[in-house]
Amino acid sequence: MSSNQCINWQGNLACIQQDGLVIKSRHTIDGNHVFGPDSDYTTLAVSGLSLLSEESEINTVTVSDNIDKLVLQACGYLVDEDGEWKINCANDSASISISKGVEMDWEVPGEETDRERYDLIKNAWLQEMNAVSQGAFVSEQAYRSGAASRMNFSSQQLGDIRIWPPREMIGDQRPVDAPPLGQSGIIESWTKLSAGGAPSEFSLRAPILGGIGTVFVKMNDGPRGVFLIADDETSEPEIGKVVSFGLRRIYAQDGLIRYGLKALIS
Amino acid sequence: MVDVAVIGAGQTKFGNHALGLKGMWAESAENAFASIDGDFEPSMVDEAFIGSIAFGGGQIGNTAALLTEHTGMDNIPVRRVENACASSGFAFRDAWMAIKSGQADIVVAGGIEKMNDLTPERKRFWLGVSGDTEWERLAGLTFPGTYALMARRHFHEFGSVHDDLVNISVKNHMHGLDNEYAHIRKDVSFDKAQNGFMVADPLTLYDCCPTSDGASTVILAADHVAKKLSEDPIWVLGSGAGSDHLALHDRPSITQLIASQRAARSAYDQAGIDASDIDMAEVHDCFTIAELMATEDLGFASRGEGGLFAREGRGRRNEGSVTINASGGLKSKGHPLGATGTGQVVEVFKQLRGEVESSRQVRDANTALTHNVGGSGATCAVHVFGRDLK
Repeated sequence: MSSNQCINWQGNLACIQQDGLVIKSRHTIDGNHVFGPDSDYTTLAVSGLSLLSEESEINTVTVSDNIDKLVLQACGYLVDEDGEWKINCANDSASISISKGVEMDWEVPGEETDRERYDLIKNAWLQEMNAVSQGAFVSEQAYRSGAASRMNFSSQQLGDIRIWPPREMIGDQRPVDAPPLGQSGIIESWTKLSAGGAPSEFSLRAPILGGIGTVFVKMNDGPRGVFLIADDETSEPEIGKVVSFGLRRIYAQDGLIRYGLKALIS
Repeated sequence: MVDVAVIGAGQTKFGNHALGLKGMWAESAENAFASIDGDFEPSMVDEAFIGSIAFGGGQIGNTAALLTEHTGMDNIPVRRVENACASSGFAFRDAWMAIKSGQADIVVAGGIEKMNDLTPERKRFWLGVSGDTEWERLAGLTFPGTYALMARRHFHEFGSVHDDLVNISVKNHMHGLDNEYAHIRKDVSFDKAQNGFMVADPLTLYDCCPTSDGASTVILAADHVAKKLSEDPIWVLGSGAGSDHLALHDRPSITQLIASQRAARSAYDQAGIDASDIDMAEVHDCFTIAELMATEDLGFASRGEGGLFAREGRGRRNEGSVTINASGGLKSKGHPLGATGTGQVVEVFKQLRGEVESSRQVRDANTALTHNVGGSGATCAVHVFGRDLK
């Protein structure tokens, strides 16, 4: 990729410049970039870093407080106070600069989004932070321990077989750690759940979104998985279509936002 | 080894109940006790196994002890059996094994669930607790979504279509119309079922079973006791069970349930029969696609031909070689999770003894099967019953 190339990347707008990269949400209200329904500074940062890492080596990063450091670490980035790369979040815009030096900016028009819908989603996320599970939920410990797999496809290997999500087998079925899976696969099945059919964790946002979409994917490396479709995906799912992946907010509970991978339909 | 028979079986109506857990269990047990031909006292029961998910969390711990103390079975060994929607299918199997082992002569197997006294939000939460929590639920899946993925894949691989599922829905509503114990007793036209509200694309409301309150109770006995207490015992000819990966993504195929196939094979082998010998089957149609796959997994249709089986109406009462879900199935009779498995046995017991409403009696039924699936197929229990001990 040549410098100053600006592209649509994982549903965001990204521009690689000489000293780094600027990445913005594609959604705007009155010209100001605002987050999509499943996005925030953390998802933008991971999206930007994944693009930047195609051109540059990312060793250590320094981040501001509104980025979830554990998520970045789960995605394979080393967070350090004096990191080589600085991730700066714009104060009042869904925009991030990742650079080795000064903060960068980039003017780019986005897609105007409906303000009322945006406010509803934003408020739903705030309410969800106070949600308390009744049980049978993913505890913070379970969420953290599976984070590298959930956010970065960390996998295992047993003989010729790649395994994901990780399994905890015994004896000669015990797999060894393996590199992350490639982030591409084929849709083998899909569904869209109405608001009434979605799990209670999604009950605040599903009615606003008109339901939630899920795909059953066979990864190019072999394993299969179930993934939420990006909430702002514009393409319709179809068996045989190729998907790639990005980071998204999944749901919030007990004051903690859970992140995971979302399917982006090519 | 001792042979085992069902000598009594009863249930509550499935649906919305004013009664709570204790009241429903009492009604169900009373109906079961009353169905026994000979002189029977609840104090004669040696042991009890009661299936329940403990939906809603009202009484999660020691459910079985709470229930049996209200029905004259004091101080006997009891326990709750949990295997999601297959809880009482497995409770029945446990009861059968207790007698087979020689440790007990009379055993109660039952099931119970109270689902409709919850807020919609709480209900939605509990409806998803039996799937894979860490990966599937986190991807937004509950069971309508899981079975929708199976349905769409089946359509893709085998050319089945949504109208095949509509046929199943219409058939089961027709079968359940005259069943006094059924939750939803209404005639549903093809057109109506075809155009239902979309729940999880491609599954509509008419592809999904209702959430029901209910309880069911079955009394099993060793042969020497059965012959004394019953004029017409229904013999358990085979008991099979199986399990599979909990999460869909770990299974080699999502268009068949390996647990069902394994359970059926085991039950058939034990009974010394095959699918063609079955006159009627109560299969686990939590969603219409589940019945379509069950007809294949249980051997009533070849692999990939479940759609054709439904299209040709081969499971309709008294029209083909086997009647599928004479009770109305989960779709019409209802699905009080933990009570469903032994509820299927209640139907088989009454059908084989000729005791159901005449309008829905399966003619010349001598051999029957029950098929009870846990969740999306992680567990399954299959039982084969006969009027005669073979």
